Amino acid sequence: MLRAAAATPLAGLALPGAARATEYASASEVLDTIDRLETDVDRRLAAIANVVAGAQAFSGSVAADHAAHRAERQKLRRQLKLPAAPGPPPTKPDPSLPGLRDAQQQLVHAHAEGLPSLGNAGAVALLARHMVDGARHLTVIDLWIEAEEQRG
Amino acid sequence: MASARRAFMVRLARIARVTPAVLGLLDGTGPALARGEDTDLEILDAALTIEHHAIALYDAGLKRALFPPGLRNYAVEFRGDHLGHRDTQIAIAEERGRRPTEARCHYDLGPLTPGDPFVRQALLIEVAAQEAYTALISQIDTRDYLLSAAFILVDEVRHMTVWRRVLGLKIY
Repeated sequence: MLRAAAATPLAGLALPGAARATEYASASEVLDTIDRLETDVDRRLAAIANVVAGAQAFSGSVAADHAAHRAERQKLRRQLKLPAAPGPPPTKPDPSLPGLRDAQQQLVHAHAEGLPSLGNAGAVALLARHMVDGARHLTVIDLWIEAEEQRG
Repeated sequence: MASARRAFMVRLARIARVTPAVLGLLDGTGPALARGEDTDLEILDAALTIEHHAIALYDAGLKRALFPPGLRNYAVEFRGDHLGHRDTQIAIAEERGRRPTEARCHYDLGPLTPGDPFVRQALLIEVAAQEAYTALISQIDTRDYLLSAAFILVDEVRHMTVWRRVLGLKIY
């Protein structure tokens, strides 16, 4: 609820402590950001799956979704005549669940906050579908963290 | 199953007298809408219809203890989210000088069987909400409403995923 309200810059709504949404300058910036954040999630999840038995199925499912999303974003870049995605920066992934959750939330927010900057209904429809997958992954991670906490 | 869910969503929209153009988008038969404030307001009406229905369902579930033990916290959270979605969209409509769609006096919520059957009812309305926002979001023209709808959609997916997990359905 707070996330939805925080995204609405309406004078009539009191939003204590609400963060302002990121405003992207262009579709290219949105897609570059998503590519970077998605790679970060992939690396973190792969690192966790290497050490946590039972995480491989989720990691594999997310990786498959991301591969499909990446291919669709590449196609979208060609349609919109945007440059190809830059290569991912080298990072050493943190194999922690809270770190993964933060990274996944950033990815979901980049989709949501990027939609108004796309300027193309087809692009909005595509990235909204990807965002739905991302929000589902985020919820799975939340449920995973809850289960870990209950186990103590 | 997918066609039954879509039929449910379209039935909700018809009850609320959502315009034929938006209905066409919801049932997958209509063309893209002309972009502009009028379309945004039609989408707001459709979205509010679903939010009102969801709030009524969660109210009934919480008042009559229909959710399984241990899941009340999720129901309280999700009801709060739907109240926030409703209020955000009412504010957007009012800011544009439009009288927003009001909640009905009575909702036909079905059999209200406690336990998993009621979670299935909650899942049905969450799936309807998620599918409606996904179908309509690309037709939204104004930046603030598009941004709000995006974050609302993220919430709907969370609700849907949690109830699917509770019912033992596939979530990844």
